[in-house]
Amino acid sequence: MSSDFHRLEMRFVYGETLSELIADNPQVMCLEADLSKASGTNPIVASRHPGNFLNVGVAEANMISVAAGLASEGKVPFCASFTCFATRRVYDQITISVAYANLNVKVVGTAPGITAGPNGGTHMCFQDLAIMRAMPNMHVYAPCDALELRSVMRYMAAHHQPTYMQLIRQQVSPIFAAEYAFDPHRAAVLREGRDVTLVSTGYMTQFAVPVADELHRAGIAVELLHYPAVKPFDTATLVESARKTRRVVTVENQNVIGGLGGAVCEVLSEQCPTRVVRLGVPNEFGEVASEQYLLSKHGFGPAHIAAACRRLAAASEVG
Amino acid sequence: MHCPVTEPAEFDREEFDRMAAEWRYIITDMICRAGSGHLGGALSLVEVIITLYYRILRVDPAHPRWDGRDRLVLSKGHAAPVLYLALACRGFFPASWLKTLNADGTRLPSHADARYVPGIDMTTGSLGQGLSCACGAAYAARLDRKSHRVFCIIGDGESNEGQVWEAALFAGHHKLDNLLVITDYNKLQIDAFTDDLLSLEPLRDKWRSFGWEVLEMDGHDWDSVYDTLQAALATQGKPKMIIAHTIKAKGCCLVENKPESHNIKVPDQATYDKFLNSLPLKAALPY
Repeated sequence: MSSDFHRLEMRFVYGETLSELIADNPQVMCLEADLSKASGTNPIVASRHPGNFLNVGVAEANMISVAAGLASEGKVPFCASFTCFATRRVYDQITISVAYANLNVKVVGTAPGITAGPNGGTHMCFQDLAIMRAMPNMHVYAPCDALELRSVMRYMAAHHQPTYMQLIRQQVSPIFAAEYAFDPHRAAVLREGRDVTLVSTGYMTQFAVPVADELHRAGIAVELLHYPAVKPFDTATLVESARKTRRVVTVENQNVIGGLGGAVCEVLSEQCPTRVVRLGVPNEFGEVASEQYLLSKHGFGPAHIAAACRRLAAASEVG
Repeated sequence: MHCPVTEPAEFDREEFDRMAAEWRYIITDMICRAGSGHLGGALSLVEVIITLYYRILRVDPAHPRWDGRDRLVLSKGHAAPVLYLALACRGFFPASWLKTLNADGTRLPSHADARYVPGIDMTTGSLGQGLSCACGAAYAARLDRKSHRVFCIIGDGESNEGQVWEAALFAGHHKLDNLLVITDYNKLQIDAFTDDLLSLEPLRDKWRSFGWEVLEMDGHDWDSVYDTLQAALATQGKPKMIIAHTIKAKGCCLVENKPESHNIKVPDQATYDKFLNSLPLKAALPY
């Protein structure tokens, strides 16, 4: 059964898993702001658990603060919207009603980064990992496949913790097997190697795995670290890998400022100064375009990741 | 005043008048002691808060998180000093805390904070959010078939915020009749009179058109406050809005009904004395 989830669009995995969480704990609630079909919760959650499903309309600010009120009464609300509306539009509501008040609200940003393609630049949020990471009390997760998404959601429901999670909507390549258990304090070492460390999160990990395998076959031993939690950040795994390889490439479906690459640089500059190359969107807004076009334009597709790893691995003077 | 841990009492007009005057003196002292603070919006709520905490709210100071309690969300969180005083007088925490308002390391920050203060149900301070939080608390109570009531106090300046009207739509749509909201309509916001800066009128019609039961009261008249609250609580099927007509900084003649009452600055002893002397009654401080 668990492998069947790999064949589903991630949003339907979200809906199915949220439905299971509600069945397990009736305090769990599903909040939406008129994008419930896009989030995969309508009809899955709406029809099975109508009493736990609350659609507030196109009013994201109200959704977040209503969720805070629900959480203050013991509910466990999962609030979803497009990433742009779930984070930057309601940044103060999340900051004060949720994080500052330290209430158990789960914010879910769907269609992160370039996956918002057809909706274009207005709907592309390239800074959610960065801005949510800068918020005290907030955990920030970016699961990379269906089984990790399920494990992350179970963790979220079981832990009293303001949390932000990216939700990729479409189907993605399987990375993890059924026995995988998410731990926000531990990065997943997906491939081991001594030549270069590749650090990835969320949507990009499915591209990073075949790149690492291809480079291994070409004689470049890539150590691939997947970070399902950008905050808290597992510093030990990163530092240990960087000490070994002395070369680090980061890749994220984000602006290169402040997100995963930023976190990596903060840690390494303090604990293990290392040459780092950050791949992602170079401080630009999005535009309506295919993912392929945007990956090529901004230089963080599989070929760019491979080239960056090769370049660093070949460099004689690093660190 | 020795700020006894007061039980809700039978209404005695003289007693309540004296309590209100003493509270105005103590609140002004708390803020002056801190060197600055939101005086106007705290003083405009004195009769409303006294009536709530001595005649209306079901709360248990010995068990601040008692599940059956009525909730109160002070969405205009900057009026926290009057709420802190009410909670201290009802015995939620020692009156000695009151003199620490805004002091380094205090448990009583300028805006109402549920993390540190027993008896505060929601952390507020960023205007517009508390009403949505109260809607969430009321929605949860309905889901769980609990009989407590959710009270919320918003400001007139705060009602400039779009989120207030998102919440108004939400509560009206869901007919949250366990939610009672009071607008502290003192007609002043930070920069100017509300009618000159961004008029809310016709305020009664606005709330009514959003599906709310709307009542109005004189927020400084004991009978008007109590009777209107009781009348609102007796209605069913809709969320309730009470527009409380109040006077900002009521009783502090130095700044009463003036924009500068919003956040007073008290840089020196002379200013401190000027504020305290502008009040009609000098109370013994409970700290």
